[in-house]
Amino acid sequence: MAEENTNSSTDENSKLIGLVAQFDDPDSLVQACDQARQAGYTKTDAFSPFPVHGIDPALGIKRTILPFIVLGIAVGAVFIGLGMQWYTNGGSLGEFSTDESPVFPGYRFKISGKPYFSLPANIPVTFEVIVLSSAFATFFGMWFLNKLPMLSNPLHRISRFKRATNDKFFLMIEQADEQFDRGSTEAQLNQWGAVSIDECRRDLTDNNLPSWLRLFALMGAILLLLPPVAIFRAMGMTSRAPRLHVVPDMDWQDKSKTQTLSPIMMNDRYLFADERVMRAPVDGSVARGQLDADTELYEGIKSDYVPTVSMTTPQGSVRTGLGTQDEAEAAPPVEDVSMYVTEFPKEITVDEALVQRGQIRFNIYCAACHGYAANGDGLVNQRAIALAGIGKAQWTSAKSLHDATVSNAEKNPLGRIFETISKGRGTMGPYGAQIPTADRWAIVAYVKALQETGIKPVLAVSEEDKSGESEASDANATATTPEDKTRPTP
Amino acid sequence: MATVNPILDNTYDDADERSPLILGGLDYAGVTDEVCGIWEADKPPKIWFVVLGAAISLLMVLGGCVGHLLMDGVGVWGNNNPAYWGWPIVNFVFWVGIGHAGTLISAILFLFRQNWRTSINRAAEAMTIFAVVCAGLFPGVHIGRVWVFYWLFPIPTEHLAMWPNFRSPLLWDVFAVSTYATVSILFWYMGMVPDIATFRDRCTTKIGKFVYGLLSLGWTGSARAWHRYEIAYTILAALATPLVLSVHTIVSFDFAVSQVPGWHTTIFPPYFVAGAIFSGFAMVVTLLVPVRKLYGLENLITIRHLENMNKIIMATGMMVGTAYGIEFFIAWYSGVPYESYAFYNRAFGNYWWAYWIMVSCNVMIPQVFWIKWCRTTPWFMVIICVFVNIGMWFERFVITITSLCRDFVPSSWAYFHPTWVDILMLVGSFGLFFTLFTLFCRFLPVIAMAEVKGIMPRPKDH
Repeated sequence: MAEENTNSSTDENSKLIGLVAQFDDPDSLVQACDQARQAGYTKTDAFSPFPVHGIDPALGIKRTILPFIVLGIAVGAVFIGLGMQWYTNGGSLGEFSTDESPVFPGYRFKISGKPYFSLPANIPVTFEVIVLSSAFATFFGMWFLNKLPMLSNPLHRISRFKRATNDKFFLMIEQADEQFDRGSTEAQLNQWGAVSIDECRRDLTDNNLPSWLRLFALMGAILLLLPPVAIFRAMGMTSRAPRLHVVPDMDWQDKSKTQTLSPIMMNDRYLFADERVMRAPVDGSVARGQLDADTELYEGIKSDYVPTVSMTTPQGSVRTGLGTQDEAEAAPPVEDVSMYVTEFPKEITVDEALVQRGQIRFNIYCAACHGYAANGDGLVNQRAIALAGIGKAQWTSAKSLHDATVSNAEKNPLGRIFETISKGRGTMGPYGAQIPTADRWAIVAYVKALQETGIKPVLAVSEEDKSGESEASDANATATTPEDKTRPTP
Repeated sequence: MATVNPILDNTYDDADERSPLILGGLDYAGVTDEVCGIWEADKPPKIWFVVLGAAISLLMVLGGCVGHLLMDGVGVWGNNNPAYWGWPIVNFVFWVGIGHAGTLISAILFLFRQNWRTSINRAAEAMTIFAVVCAGLFPGVHIGRVWVFYWLFPIPTEHLAMWPNFRSPLLWDVFAVSTYATVSILFWYMGMVPDIATFRDRCTTKIGKFVYGLLSLGWTGSARAWHRYEIAYTILAALATPLVLSVHTIVSFDFAVSQVPGWHTTIFPPYFVAGAIFSGFAMVVTLLVPVRKLYGLENLITIRHLENMNKIIMATGMMVGTAYGIEFFIAWYSGVPYESYAFYNRAFGNYWWAYWIMVSCNVMIPQVFWIKWCRTTPWFMVIICVFVNIGMWFERFVITITSLCRDFVPSSWAYFHPTWVDILMLVGSFGLFFTLFTLFCRFLPVIAMAEVKGIMPRPKDH
């Protein structure tokens, strides 16, 4: 039964949008849609509680472009996903590096010698980025194409239409359709089996938002802007106030730092007389494995030696590295060479194994400056002399250990070499903290062995052959001095 | 309502016609009334309040534990040398695994045109999301300084001044789990919009009209909208299918990419995925049987639905059992002494009890589903499914703890002891899960009405 409605299509209060016909089952809806399309209606739509099969051709609905939108986004996501990982972790192809980028520089992790960028390791994240982007494209693309959300729809004002989401089926023919005619369309709908027909009207009187809502929306929007504005303001200016500490016990930990005053107070006085946090060992106590009373082994000084007051203490010979050799030569310390041991301590057995150990340690710690052949042509020394030559560094050349002042056993006994390694001499720094005692003696043994040979060992020859810097005949000649090896500029 | 359908048992297959998936002779309005009746009732059943009250109590326990953890640091857990991954990752993998059934039912069964999924997919998807929430909690609080959680993501911060390491499986996990949670929510919500529109159109209260009106986005059921909606749903299903497989694969990479004996195996991805489906379906059955009984949804969630799920549980349970066997074979066949020892130790070492709980619950007990009575009797299948979930928790426990406690260096061997915080957080996570699920049952459509109507025989076919 059609409803009688004699209202004109537009009056002051409302505008006719279309006619909505109700059907009771999906098949009659599909038939009605088919007939409406054949009758020439194009601005039609059907409404059903579930997708009705066969309604797309009946209404003439074209296939949506949504899959292509998703495909486009997915292909883009491949590049975004891979690009993000390449930029942040692997930006090192050829000359191009993202590490020095002014904005968001890359950060490369060297892990187990693996390449910075390798496709297999970057597939999982790329895949997830593709799926996430495509899912967003599908979800939001579908709503966008459907012009939803649309919270105000005149259809919802029809009480009967509420069953469109329950168990009834509706066909709407819009007033905007060229074929639409209030009377004849209604007759046609009845003819196609409509159970009832309603007018869909847009209420013109109730179109405006309530005035208070606009005011509240404006105020809300302004209030929402405040936090980001505050954050940007804080980011854009300097402040003397300390930054916010979210969890204070991580920033201010309940511990004492070295070389500070002790926090432990008793009756307003420091608990410890020296007021320090750090506690010195009890006088006369020795930590396990730290007993180094044997001066021959640990210092290279004869155990029966009694120091005189006028002697320069070994500590006095340690320099900061800023002093030059000239300075050292200008005021040579008054040295009592007789205090140094001239034999290896009894704990050290001099054999081939010791010398070989000494060679390994020497090549690690000493060769950088003194050179593998100990003739003072280490790479650091060469480079530093080159820089000093153009005034970019201040440098005292590392000595050749074949130099008479070093190799002379009278002036430079074993104990003195040991002390030089342990505590440094001139501008050379101390290595006692880095090299264990036995290894230092091993180096002494190797240095003495080098000095015995007097000429370059085979190793140094082959090094120079490889570098190709000098003639083969030159390399076979006598030891080259550091000055010979110095090149003007790199 | 139409006349009562004489068919009461739809578990028998008849070659002449399809067994009906909806019983009780329900028509379209009948389906709507049944599902909306849950939410339209003035008061939920008393048992609902009891469950919600218990769940909220447990949730508060969880909140207290998390607060304690944040104030005192992760040392409140039992994680310590050598088991630096203790219960938190066990619970994480347990919950993430459970969270796989929902998307599997929604997406994979949808692509395979398994119509029976329509009655259970909504609740399963909701369960998925709540399980992922529980899962995300554990690695979330495990990072120690949760207030800088965003360092997990590639967001440029001056404070950190470095990027995540994209070659680490733990970072893949961040991407996989957050993508999975996001896509699951999109899928769940999109599927629910037509049903929320039904709620909107039936709602009588002002607040309800406003909230459901907003959530339904103005859905009218237009044929043009349905057309795009169905295609979008298919695309999402096609996206979610590889996603659901990738998530547990990547979770298994957390273990498999490391060198620890017992973890470093290529079988982990398929084995983890099968286990996830296994535990997820068990959780769906555990939840749906009481819900169905409580709300009288026997006509929509029929015995046939439950039986189908039990068949999947039995199938995946046997896959998991096969994986256990293959692990032992490979441990022997590889000839690696560490690997062989790791597996010998699992079965016969000092965690033998955990291993045999796992095997009994996961492999032996589900075998009862060969018997038709067992897989069609609701109260019985719930008991079996609870055992399955106990077994699956122990599976993750066995993998994580036994491998870490017996690694390469015997001097670092130890026995893992959970603390009370570990135990209460596991218990509390069930509180979080059941709080969310109980609220879901009350305020959102438990069954996908629109989808159920779509697979019902058309009225004129009768």
